[in-house]
Amino acid sequence: MESKPLVVVGAGVAGTAAAIEAARAGVQVTLIDENPISLSTMDMDVPLFFGRRIAGELSDRAVMLERVIAANDGLARAVDAGVDLCIGTCVWGAFRNSDNSRVLDGPQLGLADDRQSWMLKYDRLIVATGARDLGMPFAGSDLTGAMGANGAHSLMRNYEALASRRMVILGSGNLGLNIARMALMSGVKVPAVVDVSPTVRGDEALALELRSLGVEFYTSHTVKEASGADGEIDSVVLVQIDENNEPVVGSKKVIAADTVCLAIGSVPNVELLSLLGCEMSFKSELGGYVPDHDEWMRTSVENVFVAGDAAGFHDGMVQEPEIAENQGRLAGIAAAESLSAIDSSEAHARRSGIWASTSSAPPAEVHSYWKKWLDSLVNAGGPDVFVCRCEEVTCAELIDLQPPRYLNWTSEQMDRRSLQAHVKDGPVNPNIVKRLTRVGTGHCQGRLCREQVSLLLAGEAGINVAELPMMTYRPPVRPLPLKVMWPHDETEQVRTEWPKWFHPPGKVLG
Amino acid sequence: MPVDRADVVVIGAGVSGLSTAWYLAKAGKDVVVVDKGVVGGEASGRNGGMISERVDEPPLIPMAVESLRLWKTLEVDLGYPIEFIHQGRLQVAVTEEEMGDLFSERDVALRHGINVEVVDTREIEDMVPGISDRVLGGTFFSNGGHANPQRTVQAYAWAIQDLGGEIYQHTAVTGFQVVAGRVSAVETTAGVIETDEVVAAAGPQTGLLAEMVGAHVPVAPARVEILATTALPPLFDIALVGNGLYGRQAARGNLLFGGGAHEWIDVDLTGDPAKPNTPLVRNIARRLAELIPGAADAPVLRSWAGVVEQSPDYVPIIDVLDDPSNYVVVTASAHGFGLTPATGKVVSDLVLHGESSIDISGLRLDRFADVEPGWREERGWVPVGERD
Repeated sequence: MESKPLVVVGAGVAGTAAAIEAARAGVQVTLIDENPISLSTMDMDVPLFFGRRIAGELSDRAVMLERVIAANDGLARAVDAGVDLCIGTCVWGAFRNSDNSRVLDGPQLGLADDRQSWMLKYDRLIVATGARDLGMPFAGSDLTGAMGANGAHSLMRNYEALASRRMVILGSGNLGLNIARMALMSGVKVPAVVDVSPTVRGDEALALELRSLGVEFYTSHTVKEASGADGEIDSVVLVQIDENNEPVVGSKKVIAADTVCLAIGSVPNVELLSLLGCEMSFKSELGGYVPDHDEWMRTSVENVFVAGDAAGFHDGMVQEPEIAENQGRLAGIAAAESLSAIDSSEAHARRSGIWASTSSAPPAEVHSYWKKWLDSLVNAGGPDVFVCRCEEVTCAELIDLQPPRYLNWTSEQMDRRSLQAHVKDGPVNPNIVKRLTRVGTGHCQGRLCREQVSLLLAGEAGINVAELPMMTYRPPVRPLPLKVMWPHDETEQVRTEWPKWFHPPGKVLG
Repeated sequence: MPVDRADVVVIGAGVSGLSTAWYLAKAGKDVVVVDKGVVGGEASGRNGGMISERVDEPPLIPMAVESLRLWKTLEVDLGYPIEFIHQGRLQVAVTEEEMGDLFSERDVALRHGINVEVVDTREIEDMVPGISDRVLGGTFFSNGGHANPQRTVQAYAWAIQDLGGEIYQHTAVTGFQVVAGRVSAVETTAGVIETDEVVAAAGPQTGLLAEMVGAHVPVAPARVEILATTALPPLFDIALVGNGLYGRQAARGNLLFGGGAHEWIDVDLTGDPAKPNTPLVRNIARRLAELIPGAADAPVLRSWAGVVEQSPDYVPIIDVLDDPSNYVVVTASAHGFGLTPATGKVVSDLVLHGESSIDISGLRLDRFADVEPGWREERGWVPVGERD
C-alpha cells in the first residue's frame, strides 16, 4: 500500500493554505479534493445540497475538470509550491488501529474516483473538509430547485453550472447575502431574501448593495411551501410570522422562482474526524459537534490536524476567508514540525504573524435561530412536511415514532407509542430514532436531516440540543457503487482465507 | 431506581434477554431487564437478521425449528412490526468444493427431517434475478427467512412494557448478593434489586458476569462487519448465503450483506465496546458485486460492526448454574437472532419449571467442564498483540 508523509483532504481555502505552507517547509504533500464530483453523486445531493439544478454541460467530464481547475487558483499555487495534487478523488473512509481494531498496518484513508477505490497510508493528516448545508423541512423541499447555499456556491464557483434563473434565498446572514450577490453576478435573479428574524442578520453594507440591485428582504417571514409542475419548483409561498413563529393570517405572498436556496446555516464536515475517533464537543456557536483542537490545530488523535470550516463554522467567516487560511497555515506548519521538516524555532518563526483566533467573534449560539426557522416552517407548512427527504419521513411521523409507511403497519400498541413515550424510557438517542423511523438512512447519508432531527428530538424531550449524542458516521461517507468500492488490490490471501462465519476462526484483512 | 424487587432480573436487553423477559411477563412474573447500554444496542440490533433451521449446528436444530414456528406469529403476538419474511433460505456454491459442502449439509438436514432441495442455476436465477453465472448450484430451505433486528428488539421491549415489565437502560450490573447458594439481589449502577431468579443473557459479557458468582462460562468476544446499499427495487425475498457472504434485501429495498474476517476482542462490564469498521468493507463489497452482478452499480451507503461471542464449540450455552442455583446462563454464540423466540420460551421454561420441553441437551455448560480458564490464549482467540 502506498504511503505519504502528509495528506491534506480538501482543497478549499484552508486545505490549500495548509498544503502550501507544509510544502514550503520541505514536506512532500499530497492534496486531495473530490471536485469534480461525479454527476451521479451530485444528483444524490452529496456532499452538498445541489438541488439537481446542474447545467447540462457538466455531463462532459472534461468540461467539469477544466472548470474546477480554472475556478480554484489555489490549485495552481499548490502545484507551484510542489504539492502533489489529486483531484476528482473523494476520501470515503479513514481507518486506524484503536480499541477492538488492531490489525491495520498503519493509519489509512479510503479513496475513490469515479471508477475505483484504493487505500492510502499517511504519516500526518490534515482534514480541511469544509462545511455542508443545513437542511430544513418545507413543503416542496424534495422538488428540483430546492438547494443549499454551499451547493449553490459550489455550482457557481467551481463549475459555472448553476441552472437557476430566479432564486429565493432563505437566511439573511452573510451566507445568504453572499450567495445573493454571487447569484446576481452569475445572471440569476434574486427576487427575495427571507428571514424569520425581524431584521437582516448579515453585513449592512452588503444588504444595502443588494437592495440597490433590486433584492427584496422579507424579515419576520418564512416559507409556507414551494411548488411547481413536473417535479420542479416554479413558485414559492411566503408568509409573515408573529412572535410565536405562527403564520399571520392574510400575509401570504407568492413569488415566482425556480430555486429555493437554504442559507440558514452551515455545518462542519466532521465525518472523517469522527471515523478516526477524534474527540468532539458540541459548540453551537460553531455549528454543532466540532473536533477538539489546540492552537496549532492538532486534534485529540495523534498526527491528525484540522483546519477551516471543518473545525467549526460561523457566519462571520463568510466575510473573512483569512480565518480558514490562517488555520490552514498553522496546521501545515504544525504538521511540518511534527515530521521534523522544520525545528521548533523555525516553526515558531513561521507562525509569527498568523493569528489563529477569529477576528469577528462567533455568535453566542446558532441553534435557537435554527429552531426558530424549524418551528416557523412546521407551523406554516404543517406537520406533514418531510424532515428526511430521502426516506420521505414527515415531522409528524418522526414525532409519533411511526414505522415507515411502506410497512403499512397499524396496531393499537403502535398507536400508543410516540417520541414522548420513548423519551421516558431513557435519554433520547437519535441513533435509535433513526433505526425506528429511518430518518437519515437514505442516499444523502443524513446530511440534510441530522440537525432537523436533533432539534425536533430535543424539542420533544425538553432538553437542550447539546445534550443529544451525535448521530454516528459510518464509512463509506460517500455513497460508492459496489463496483467502485471493489478492491482491485485485494491480496490472494484475502481471497483464499476468507472465513465463512467463524470457520476457520482466524482473521484476514485486505 | 423505581423498583427494589423483582421476581426475575434479566441481565441484557438483547434478543435473548428480551424474549425471555417477554415470556416471563406473559406468565405473570414481575420482570426487570437491565442493560449497561440501550435496547438492542449491541449484536442483537446490529446483525444481518438471518433466520434458519441451523443445520450447520445440529444441536441447535430442535430450538431453531421451534423458533421458526414462533416467528410466524411473532409480529401479531408482540403488536409491533418486525419485518419477518418467511420465503426460505437459498445457499449457493461458486466452487465445486462449496457444492460438496452444500450436499453434506443437505444430508444432515434430511436426517433431521428438514425440508431441503437441491436447486439448479435456472431455479436460482428465478429466485435472485441478476445473480452471478459463476453460481454452480445450491440448496433451498423452504423454512428459512429473515427479519429486521432493530425493529425486533424494540418490538420485544415495548411488548414487555405493555405487560408491565420494566426495562432499565444504561444500568450496568456491578455485583450479586448470594445467600445460601442463591442470588438474593443484583447490584447495579442504579441500585440494588432483590430477586428470586437471575437470567444472564449478556452476550459477550456473559462470561465476566458468571465470574462474579464464581462460575466459568467460556465465551470469546469478536467484532464482525456488514454493509448496506441504497434501496433497490424488489429483487429477492429469500435469505441468501453464498460467495462467503450472508444477507438479505430489506423491506425498504437495501441489500444488507456481511461476512468475512472477524477480530477477537476483549470487553468489559460497563463500557460500550468500540465497533470500528475496517477496510474489510471493500472486500465485502466485491464479494457482493461478484455474487449479484446485477446490483454492482448500487452505491454502498454505510457499513457497521457488531460484537458477538463464541463458545469453544460455536454452539450456544443455555443452562442453570449449580451454584448459585437460581442463575440461568444464556449465550448464543453468534446464533442468537434467529433463535430469539425459542430462546425466550426455553429460558422462561427453565426459570418457571426448571426444565424445557425443547431438547437443549446439547447446550449444557458442563460440556466445557474441561475447558481451562486460559483456553482463549491457547487457541489464539484473543486480541492481536495479546498472543504468545
